[in-house]
Amino acid sequence: MRAGPLFGALATSLRRNLGMTCAVVVTVAICLALLGAGLLLRAQARTVDRFLLDQIEVVVDLQDGLPEADREALRDELAADPLVTKVSYESKQQVYERFRRDFRGSPDVVAGVSADDLPASFRLALADPRDAEEIVYTYTGRDGVEAVRDQRALLGPLYRFLDGFTLGAFALAAIQAVASFVLIYTMIRISAHARRRETAIMRLVGATNAAIRAPFVLESALAGLVGGLLAVGTLVLAKVYLVDGRFAHQTMFPLFGWGAVWAAAVAVLAVGVTAAAGMASVALRRHLRV
Amino acid sequence: MIRLASVTKRYGVGGRPALHGVTAQIDAGEFVFLVGPSGSGKSTLLRLLIREERASEGLVEVAGRDVARIADRRVPLLRRTVGCVFQDFRLLPDRTVAGNVAFALDVVGRPRHVVRSVVPEVLELVGLTGKEKRFPDELSGGEQQRVAIARAFVGRPLILLADEPTGNLDPATSAEIMDLLDDINQAGTTVLMATHNAGLVDAMRRRVLELDAGILVRDEHRGGYDAPATVAVSATVAVSATVPASAAPATVAAAPGLPGVPGVSGISGVPAQRAPSAGGFVGRPAEPVGLVGPAEPEGPVGLPGEGAA
Ligand SMILES: Nc1ncnc2c1ncn2[C@@H]1O[C@H](COP(=O)(O)OP(=O)(O)OP(=O)(O)O)[C@@H](O)[C@H]1O
Ligand SMILES: [Mg+2]
Repeated sequence: MRAGPLFGALATSLRRNLGMTCAVVVTVAICLALLGAGLLLRAQARTVDRFLLDQIEVVVDLQDGLPEADREALRDELAADPLVTKVSYESKQQVYERFRRDFRGSPDVVAGVSADDLPASFRLALADPRDAEEIVYTYTGRDGVEAVRDQRALLGPLYRFLDGFTLGAFALAAIQAVASFVLIYTMIRISAHARRRETAIMRLVGATNAAIRAPFVLESALAGLVGGLLAVGTLVLAKVYLVDGRFAHQTMFPLFGWGAVWAAAVAVLAVGVTAAAGMASVALRRHLRV
Repeated sequence: MIRLASVTKRYGVGGRPALHGVTAQIDAGEFVFLVGPSGSGKSTLLRLLIREERASEGLVEVAGRDVARIADRRVPLLRRTVGCVFQDFRLLPDRTVAGNVAFALDVVGRPRHVVRSVVPEVLELVGLTGKEKRFPDELSGGEQQRVAIARAFVGRPLILLADEPTGNLDPATSAEIMDLLDDINQAGTTVLMATHNAGLVDAMRRRVLELDAGILVRDEHRGGYDAPATVAVSATVAVSATVPASAAPATVAAAPGLPGVPGVSGISGVPAQRAPSAGGFVGRPAEPVGLVGPAEPEGPVGLPGEGAA
């Protein structure tokens, strides 16, 4: 079919079916916004991950007043450990600088701590971060060692938080996807009923199945597109006001950038349009005889 | 143009078939009336031709194609070669006269300049010039049927099927519609028209196919609505209580220049008692004529070229 008559049919269908189409748009928008949120949470987890992988994984806090000879002996031993790829020493002052940097978003915390309160430490880079536990086990309680901290382990709660919310967002998105399908199915049924005269005549005069189905699929895809655009709008607003506007001041971790937002937007739009069109095709199989 | 060989159509399992062993051939350019009481299978026969339904048994050929063997995605092409008109017009109420006709071209992807030039032409042909912008509810029944005919004809189909096209019209208007269909036929389109309108059939004196309870009981050239009481029945009727079940029911021989209808004589399961109930037939010792084979043409009632078989 030519574009003119095709869009004519689409316009007629939308006009007759506006309320239903709006319901589909809203449901699809919620579904896709949740999907986008899940994608952004995953992007955040990856951002944190990348940040930490660049960081030294395990910190060996030294007791105050440890003689330099003992310290050097410990450094040699750590350097000889096959699990450790790099050892670097940070004095109390250097640790304090790092602490101030990490917590620049929370001046109250920084104000209550001085360089003297913090232990000097070795920072270890591991060949495989998963060996951290073994390092912690080996060196905890050694002479001169105050504590061995696996920084990734400290972040367990954060990872669990991110993973939990990602999973929750995807689960809700899936439920919304089911709701969207039910609505699209109903929309197609109503639409096919409203246009049954047209489709009967189309069939009679020899229109192809594709031509008969196209307006319906297009209607659904359009609802998917509009829903997707609404979802993208939501994601952009969330990035501007929530992420950049609030979280950026409250956390010491880097946050996902606009690249992740646009990647999620593209995914959301692509999924929205194709899934809506696909759902419509499935529904048409049921409601439109060709 | 249309060839039916031993066509049987059953809706669902069990029950009486809507068509039973129908064999007939219609040549290009013919005008044929399809008559018979309600429920005799006229609409069913028409639906088989556009593969709206599929025959349960037998061969249905349209424009040289075995309809059953057309791939699903090519069925639209079949339907473009066959125009359809119905008793209830089936116009789109929210489109104008021109819009309704253009719709048939638009949805098969004809380019806009073609639509623009062809629609006024066909509207002129059906006598609706000046009413292009009216909506169906602003037209009389006869005018609505003209729109429907224009829509069916605008794609220049080889065949026009009309299912009781005058069923909702007064006699005068019916005659006008009949004239229009006749014009379309004169221009070369094969027309098959199912009708209950005895007056039209009698006035036109065209070929008549009569169905009764799914069985073809008459194929008469220049026939009337009712079967002729005194004509040599043997030439037109091939079903009788005396025909054994294994013999063929109504059979029409092939038309000139075309191959005969194969395998007609082998239909089994024909109820022996299904004699047509039309007056004048009952109890008449009829013999099936025109069976494929060496049967000589005998009943001269306008059956063309039976010898061709
Ligand atoms: N879709 C269908 N499903 C089941 N049975 C059907 C269907 N269509 C028709 N029939 C049956 O097939 C038989 C023939 O019907 P058909 O509509 O072909 O008759 P007709 O000759 O067109 O009648 P009329 O003159 O009233 O239009 C009838 O017994 C009818 O009940
Ligand atoms: Mg009928």
